[in-house]
Amino acid sequence: MKEFFNWIDDRTGIAKLTREALFESVPGGARWRYVWGSTLSFAIMVQFITGIFLWMGYSSSATTAWESVYYIQNEMSFGWLLRGIHHWTAQIMVILLVLHLVQVVIDSAYRAPREFNFWFGVILLFITLAISLTGYLLPWDQKGFWATKVATNLAGIVPVIGGDLQKIIIGGSDYGHHTLTRFFALHAGVLPGALVALVVVHIYLFRRHGITEAKPATKAGALYYWSLLGVVFGALTVMAFIFEDSAKQWVPWIVSGVFAGIVVRIAFLLIRGGDDDSASRPKRDGMFWPDQILRDAIACAAVMAAVLFFVFWKSTELTAPADPSQPYNAARPDWYFMSLFQMLKFPVFKGALGLLIGAIIVPSILVTAVFLMPLIGKSRIGHWVNVVMLYLLIGGFVVLTAMGFNHDANDEDYKRGVANAHADAKRLNELILINGGIPPAGALTLLYSDPKIRGARLFAANCASCHPHGGGDGMGGEVKEPSAPDLKGVGSREWIAGLLDHKRYTSAEYFGNTKFKEGKMAGHLDDIEMLQADIDAVSAALASEGRVAGYSLPEGGQKFIDSGFDLMFNDLECADCHGIQGEDEGKGPSLTGYMSREWMVNFVGNPAHEDLYGKKNDRMPSFLSMKKEDGTVKEGQLSRQDVELIVGWLRGEWPKAGDVEK
Amino acid sequence: MPSEMAARQPGDPERREFMAKAVSIVAGGAIVSVPVGVGIATLVSPIFGEGQGGIKIRLAAVEDLPGDGSPKLYQVVAERTDAWTKYPEKPLGSVFLRKLENGGVAAFNSSCPHAGCSVGFKSKEEGYYCPCHESVFLLDGSMGKFCVSPRGLDSLEVDKDRLKDGEVWVTFQNFAAGIEEKRAI
Repeated sequence: MKEFFNWIDDRTGIAKLTREALFESVPGGARWRYVWGSTLSFAIMVQFITGIFLWMGYSSSATTAWESVYYIQNEMSFGWLLRGIHHWTAQIMVILLVLHLVQVVIDSAYRAPREFNFWFGVILLFITLAISLTGYLLPWDQKGFWATKVATNLAGIVPVIGGDLQKIIIGGSDYGHHTLTRFFALHAGVLPGALVALVVVHIYLFRRHGITEAKPATKAGALYYWSLLGVVFGALTVMAFIFEDSAKQWVPWIVSGVFAGIVVRIAFLLIRGGDDDSASRPKRDGMFWPDQILRDAIACAAVMAAVLFFVFWKSTELTAPADPSQPYNAARPDWYFMSLFQMLKFPVFKGALGLLIGAIIVPSILVTAVFLMPLIGKSRIGHWVNVVMLYLLIGGFVVLTAMGFNHDANDEDYKRGVANAHADAKRLNELILINGGIPPAGALTLLYSDPKIRGARLFAANCASCHPHGGGDGMGGEVKEPSAPDLKGVGSREWIAGLLDHKRYTSAEYFGNTKFKEGKMAGHLDDIEMLQADIDAVSAALASEGRVAGYSLPEGGQKFIDSGFDLMFNDLECADCHGIQGEDEGKGPSLTGYMSREWMVNFVGNPAHEDLYGKKNDRMPSFLSMKKEDGTVKEGQLSRQDVELIVGWLRGEWPKAGDVEK
Repeated sequence: MPSEMAARQPGDPERREFMAKAVSIVAGGAIVSVPVGVGIATLVSPIFGEGQGGIKIRLAAVEDLPGDGSPKLYQVVAERTDAWTKYPEKPLGSVFLRKLENGGVAAFNSSCPHAGCSVGFKSKEEGYYCPCHESVFLLDGSMGKFCVSPRGLDSLEVDKDRLKDGEVWVTFQNFAAGIEEKRAI
């Protein structure tokens, strides 16, 4: 065996390489504070591994991206776990990067000769952010699509080259296949390639210079750092209270909570603190293997545990597929860009110039300042400047991010946008199950042919300016000035019973806001004063014509229904005006097949048809194309398919997951 | 080999060495520039391609629009080619249509001219509102009191001839966001 290893070593020099890699001396001994770099390397490795496996299941085109991610998430064995680890590691990686940067700056590990390594590190930070940004789009869901639209539009405002830059990034003038192929190539090829190359250089330079030994701390030094932190967080607390602009006040409380913690720490230091005596202890250098690696491994395990915790706790979101024609009130970037997003709301960044300053110039200045840190930090004062600058940057980031999330938590439009996107996604999952898969044209086509989702949207867009549905517009929005009957439960026994009650008929719930309030039917209902038993029988009879979803035979069965029709033909004189069961079509709307699918489609299509309201039609438009008296065709507002979707939704007829056995 | 070369081509060895280095670098660079150049040419090709341009589409009949002058949002779904796929019906965006007092119709692209989010309509008094950076636009599409957008909502061309027949035909188009100029893309 030994001979075999010698044979390999002779040809590769692997033994020397391993020795160099593992038996690095760690001056002053292994420490917990040195683990951040290793946890980052670990996170990068996790992303490469999970990314490559995700790649095996992902397909980057506008009709397959969402679909393949859906399949990974819901159908592939452990796909949800794979995607979850990839997603949550990306989030935690950003935090690890910041911690790594903070530690490097505090320990002044950017000083000569380590300047280049610091710069490479900062570039690595931005490559990581770019990988995150490009990855956000890849599921091609509403969330990623709208966030990317904002981000790429911001690229478009760069002076001179902006317009062309935007076209190059999105692969044309419109978002589509080539936006995805380009983002995917960047996310999985170009940027990770650059990342690996730079990480190799970063680690090479780190090994070349050795670890920056943490200085032995004195009580005065510790007080200095904590006081500095106290000043920064004190200022941030004041800022947070000034900018606080909504009902919930937890944002300033977080910052002031941290501030209070710092004050307590300072007090503790003043009372009980002493100099760190590590300098006086006999100096004992540690070894990278196994002293430091053990600590690193434990830290990496903690990172993995945190990732898994989030995967199980929050799972991994996939909203409805991208649809540029479907307004999305919750377009937000991922949390680490939320501060930039929030910043652009301030009036100081108003207009084209303001946007340029806020979105391009200010971030560029901050990035330049970070790049200049090794040069600024040459002197002791310069180093303090850097530390303060970094704390301010992080503090500003925290405050702005918290303000953004706080605003959203109190924004009804935003919450409804998120709720609708989740409801769409949930319904789509059902539809895919019912359909037994996704059609070749993509998952969006399922949503577009679903009465539950599409019907409600069409109703909100076309009908809800007059007709409420349960008081609202059917999509969680309000109807400002309802002027026609509320259509929730239309065609059901209860709904028809309400219609037959004179008081309710003439109320805003039914025809109170129409000219029918004073019409013949209202007068007739007033005259005949129907008994409750009659109302029950007639509504049972009429409901049996339409048989909307949830219909069942009334108590008393067919006999009871027949008695209702009998009343309509005789005592109540309904047949004088209305056609009933195919007999004697009168001047009022025909009740033959009342509220059946066909009746409703005809009604929505042309309520002024002679079998329906005829010339007495109030304001209800004809939604389908129809021939006018002069022989020309008036184009309808909706297609027949759209009208059927609305009718299907109103009748409660849509495929349900329980209808099919998985 | 070098010694043979030297024997065959007498001259200054330093100069020859420089020539060899220069030729190697130039030739190496030229060879690499072939794949890189071709790659970059395809990468930047969208700059030279023409935009999809405006698309004329019927959205509504004038009588379908609210009589009180409040806007109504219409989805724009039309035939569109995206790279290799030709969609018979592709959702492209949405448009606010509003009846004017003079009998005309105003049309606005619902995409916010600030950063491209979709703008919603609140009420005639409150106007349009962008849920991203909270810009407010007045009923006529102009910028409201609080508005970080560099310009008002982008109006779209409404076909006047068809309007006379009671039909609203709009030239749907997207415009570059974040700049003062209304530039079609």
